[in-house]
Amino acid sequence: MMKFVGIVGTIAEKSYNRKLLEYIVKHYTEIAEIEMLDIKDVPMFNASKDQTNSEVIQNLNNKILAADGVILVTPEHNHTTTAAMKSVLEWLSFNVHPFENKPVLIVGASYFSQGSSRAQLSLRQILDSPGVNALVMPGNEFLLGNVKEAFDDNGELKDERTAGFLGSVLEKFAKWVEVLKALNTKEKEETSWEDEDLTAAGAVDTTVRGVDPDADDWVELAAQKTKAAQKKEYVKLNSGLLTVDQLNWFLNSMPMELTYADDNNQFIYYNHTKPGKEMLAPREPEQTGSPISKVHPDRARDGVKKTIHALRTGETDLVKMPVPGNQINERYLMHYYKAMHDEEGNYRGVNEWVLDMWPIVKAYLEQTGQKLVKDENAQDVIASASKHEEAKVEENIETKVNTSEEPRLDEGIDSVTGASE
Amino acid sequence: MNKYIGIAGTNSPSSTNKKLVEYIQRHFANEAEIEIISIAELPVFYKVPGRVLPERVSVISKKIAESDGVIISTPEYDHSAPAVLMNALEWLSYGSHPFVGKPVMVVGASYGTLGASRAQAHVRQILDSPELQARIMPSSEFLVDHSLGIFDENGNLNNDEKITRLNELFKDFETFVEISKNLNNTIKANKELAENYTWEDDEEGK
Ligand SMILES: Cc1cc2nc3c(=O)[nH]c(=O)nc-3n(C[C@@H](O)[C@@H](O)[C@H](O)COP(=O)(O)O)c2cc1C
Ligand SMILES: Cc1cc2nc3c(=O)[nH]c(=O)nc-3n(C[C@H](O)[C@H](O)[C@H](O)COP(=O)(O)O)c2cc1C
Repeated sequence: MMKFVGIVGTIAEKSYNRKLLEYIVKHYTEIAEIEMLDIKDVPMFNASKDQTNSEVIQNLNNKILAADGVILVTPEHNHTTTAAMKSVLEWLSFNVHPFENKPVLIVGASYFSQGSSRAQLSLRQILDSPGVNALVMPGNEFLLGNVKEAFDDNGELKDERTAGFLGSVLEKFAKWVEVLKALNTKEKEETSWEDEDLTAAGAVDTTVRGVDPDADDWVELAAQKTKAAQKKEYVKLNSGLLTVDQLNWFLNSMPMELTYADDNNQFIYYNHTKPGKEMLAPREPEQTGSPISKVHPDRARDGVKKTIHALRTGETDLVKMPVPGNQINERYLMHYYKAMHDEEGNYRGVNEWVLDMWPIVKAYLEQTGQKLVKDENAQDVIASASKHEEAKVEENIETKVNTSEEPRLDEGIDSVTGASE
Repeated sequence: MNKYIGIAGTNSPSSTNKKLVEYIQRHFANEAEIEIISIAELPVFYKVPGRVLPERVSVISKKIAESDGVIISTPEYDHSAPAVLMNALEWLSYGSHPFVGKPVMVVGASYGTLGASRAQAHVRQILDSPELQARIMPSSEFLVDHSLGIFDENGNLNNDEKITRLNELFKDFETFVEISKNLNNTIKANKELAENYTWEDDEEGK
């Protein structure tokens, strides 16, 4: 499902353009989920008084960054767009640039037959300027003229042809966004694993800003900053409802060690049940929040980059590998790196789990009355472990979920997210 | 001596357009009395129910109405006029119409090579709209490029070509203002038109 955000260029409560956006939000739920963003509290842009870090600008920035597209609804004042709209665009082209390459649809309503045509034209020019650099949908215009007569008392468009045309414009916009997305994914695939930034210097829409990622009490600080739900507070999940306590009980009783590294390569969670020394892949609470680069040894860096890059680009969905030093038929630790995706299929991070496979295999053998025999034809997987490391990293990555071939040992990728030494 | 209002389209104390207007004020002190007014403190425009204007808007509106002409110096933000200037022009075309028939000279300064050319065109377009209907001096672009380096320590233009151009433009503007005083046949009608250009119905503004 596409996600759009919509902004009306007015701070007045009463506005026909707001009515128009409300109509769009309500009627085209099959095309996209559209969230209306409020600009009422946005201060007048002032280049000498930077307020980019204010909550209202940050919120707009994050919401736009996360959206697949933006719908701008502009009234017309004095043959141009409004100062209220322009001020927002100036903030968002000053120290942050969320519109960069973001697909935008312009619509507008006015009292007269011209239907905001001039405001739309000037808005287009603004959006095209290098500081904004949005991708404005070419060709299509939706001008709602004589707007005072356009809606009935229930906020419905009276004229069916107008409603139909609006629907077709929205559909085209959604299609166009899809095409652009496909183009972008292609581009992404062409990026190199070396570009993978393990220092998490960038940010994604979920990144908690203004908190030092290296702080020992990052969890506490980030929780305060985001006013995070706690303890007995409920969290709505896609097929359930749990309190934060319940979520913890649940995750802490999973039969494996779980680690969450987000799409910005920041290590933001693990199911903490024991001190690091007793864990299969040691981690400490103070490490949470740190960039991936800080929680694994340098020598593993290239392997980690390749793994994450493969997951991010969709080259593979799961990378699995045994750790060095496993003992056949005694203890067999496996690391799994699984790509996480949002509803639209965008990469959102790595789910890493670590577990000892041997107790499971052992129980299986006992219950089914079987035993293991060595396969005489199998190549000696352990023996080949120290040769050609670089090459093997890539082979490992190519080992997809369904391949029957056992992934070979590799020191290079011992732990993507955890602190393994 | 004519009385003009000078407006820099900015709320930034370090604006080079502010410097430009201040320079114009000093440079032509013997030819005209130029009062600089700030638009920095106006609230974000919205249609105030009943069209009750903020005090500051009424003050500015009155000053413009009583002047012989207006000089606007515009920065360029995102290839257009800054929101703060658009905002002032919205307030000054709502409930009062001081710009109708008023001679206006548009100038502008930018850091880059283009001298706010696109912002100036934008301001002209805005001033030409039905509720403003200013008398914009034609063919009179004054583009100040590389504006961070064009003033000396006393805030004077350090470029002779620019000064000559400005002198000529100002002379023309004075003539334009005089001619405009005689172009008064349409003013009354235009004013009425602007006032009655009911973008808003009264039911709207209640
Ligand atoms: C100062 C001012 C200037 C206006 N200028 C225009 C204009 O140039 N063209 C136009 O169609 N409507 C103009 N209008 C009327 C618009 O408010 C109206 O057409 C607008 O787009 C309605 O949108 P809204 O109900 O969402 O505010 C103007 C209104 C005001 C208050
Ligand atoms: C949000 C923003 C957008 C800008 N866009 C432009 C632009 O499109 N063209 C330009 O020449 N300068 C641009 N600038 C740079 C200068 O602000 C601009 O040149 C301005 O005209 C300088 O005038 P001032 O000194 O009066 O502020 C921009 C600055 C900001 C903060």
